[in-house]
Amino acid sequence: MRFSPMASSPYLIVSYAQTNRILPEPYQRVIVAILAVALVCIPLFSGDYFVHLLNLCLIAVIGAVGLNLLTGYCGQLSLGHASFMAIGAFATAILAQRYGLHFIVVIPASCCAGAAVGLAVGLPALRFRGIYLAITTLATHYAIIYVLTNYEAILGPSASAGITIPPLSLADHALTTERGWFYALLVVDAAVVMLGLNLARSHVGRAWVAIRDRDIAAEACGIDVPRYKLLAFTISATLAALAGSLGAYFTTVVTVEEYTLELAIIYLAMIIVGGMGSVTGSVLGAVSITLLPYGVERIFAALPWSLGTVTFGVQEATIGAAIIGFLLFEPDGLIEIYRRTATYFERWPFRYREIKASGAR
Amino acid sequence: MELLVSILALGSTYALLAAGIVIIYKASHVVNFAHGELAIVGAYVFHSAGFLSSATLSGTSVLVAGIIAAGGSALFGVAIYFALMRRLLGRPTFVAAMVTIGLAIILKAAIVVVWKSRSVGIPLGRHALRNFAGGGRVTWIELVSIVTCIAVFAALAAFFKYTRLGRQFRGAAENPLLAAQRQVNINLILALAWALAVFSAALAGVLFGSRSMLSPQSTVIGLSGLTAALVGGLDSLRGAAAGGLLVAAATYLTARLISPTLSEAVPFLILLGVMWWRPWGLFGTVEELDRV
Repeated sequence: MRFSPMASSPYLIVSYAQTNRILPEPYQRVIVAILAVALVCIPLFSGDYFVHLLNLCLIAVIGAVGLNLLTGYCGQLSLGHASFMAIGAFATAILAQRYGLHFIVVIPASCCAGAAVGLAVGLPALRFRGIYLAITTLATHYAIIYVLTNYEAILGPSASAGITIPPLSLADHALTTERGWFYALLVVDAAVVMLGLNLARSHVGRAWVAIRDRDIAAEACGIDVPRYKLLAFTISATLAALAGSLGAYFTTVVTVEEYTLELAIIYLAMIIVGGMGSVTGSVLGAVSITLLPYGVERIFAALPWSLGTVTFGVQEATIGAAIIGFLLFEPDGLIEIYRRTATYFERWPFRYREIKASGAR
Repeated sequence: MELLVSILALGSTYALLAAGIVIIYKASHVVNFAHGELAIVGAYVFHSAGFLSSATLSGTSVLVAGIIAAGGSALFGVAIYFALMRRLLGRPTFVAAMVTIGLAIILKAAIVVVWKSRSVGIPLGRHALRNFAGGGRVTWIELVSIVTCIAVFAALAAFFKYTRLGRQFRGAAENPLLAAQRQVNINLILALAWALAVFSAALAGVLFGSRSMLSPQSTVIGLSGLTAALVGGLDSLRGAAAGGLLVAAATYLTARLISPTLSEAVPFLILLGVMWWRPWGLFGTVEELDRV
């Protein structure tokens, strides 16, 4: 058996460990290695502005992975993600500015605040599903934003001026350069993506997918549905709060105006465009939706005539068009385009395509 | 007295919005998140069309603007159905809801692109019908809002109850498959639902714009309309009217008595309360609810 040609076929899966590999194909490992080297080298050869954009992408990736675990894997539609980020940002602002705590304390504490709020917001998920849950999270979004608006007026120098927080620093070295931020965020992102992938391919991810596909059947299979739903909300809100906290340190100012319903919808757009139920998809979606407005701006700047304020409207409209376009024509997002292409070359010259078995990456 | 009229006028706007959301939900079980945007865009179209035909609003230009806005909104509703919603039949309804979120973003961006986010008011019936001692007054437009709302609700109720198409509509809402087998044209019904809903939204938008200023931010009235629809029950027209009045009264009284900033959060606090206490709304059907 060991020497049979079948056993050496790269497509033959003979153990559970093999089905669970993150990068089953050798070429995928090569791609990831090249990508990792490229990411480390990019800041050395590019300007501050481009690195700044990449930093925004990296922060968005954290939130998008969190939202995808909740909405893409567990199937719980959430419009409250902006408020989770706001909780993280405000917890950071309060702890860093008012109490002057070190970031090693502040960031985990902010994440805990997000987790607690996420757990509370997730409670209605035990009663509703689908659109009713989305509307409930929408209502909690406004309730949280209202509380924070009042808090900002108390804490900040004046209402709606925002709260300024000291820069992130470790042993007298303040993290202020774009390049420094890039490498720091890259490490955090790698950890978040690994967390997402490991959750997705473990029993937690399988339970979430079962709940998404049919919650009653999942319960009949012995899955503790309320527990896993609340776990999804908690983890998702924790990651959102982490993104909010890092975003607060990155911009060094926290205003409640930043965390609008539009932001929650933009995060939803990221996972729709990238691919629902795919951690890699959330990364792709986060990067493309974050860069989209800047791309539109570039194109408009290259046009011979000036468009003024129209640019802003078109930037918004492209995000809306991206949501509609992907939902209508490519519901599984960018990652599905990659999967199709990859399968075509893997199977060439055959047209055979495996049934979407794990599909989790 | 003037407080009561203001509440009724605001409530009638919310009720009209809620009616549109209810019609779409009844017909297709899709929650329309773009309703406020549809209303405000309709009002902007009305405003532009009114001033296109003459420099000041006169009787004829209002008529022209009314025809353009009414026809345009109904056609736009049909277009939304055939361009977007028809392709999503058979997919989970939250996908269609997310498409309406995308539509909302595009419509809001359209206000920025086409009207340069100018804040405009529709100068219609702003003069006082009656002044009260102490500075209070009731304007014509408030009265017109209330009467229009009652007329629309009466017309809708009569349509659903007495006409053949209205009965087919109710049948299709209850069981699309059976209705289709009895030769009810489902496409026609759903397109009609969208046309009616977008028309009523535009009407609500015009009435809202005549009482206060229009700007991209005023699209937030869609969320008040959604709250009104949920409070009343997503599948009940009666509930839409009751919900609209309730939300308007709560918002208005909080702004007057407690604080204006709290009044922005009030619709959502009501919503949370209703979701906790009676998730199917005051008049909604219990079985309708997608509950766990």
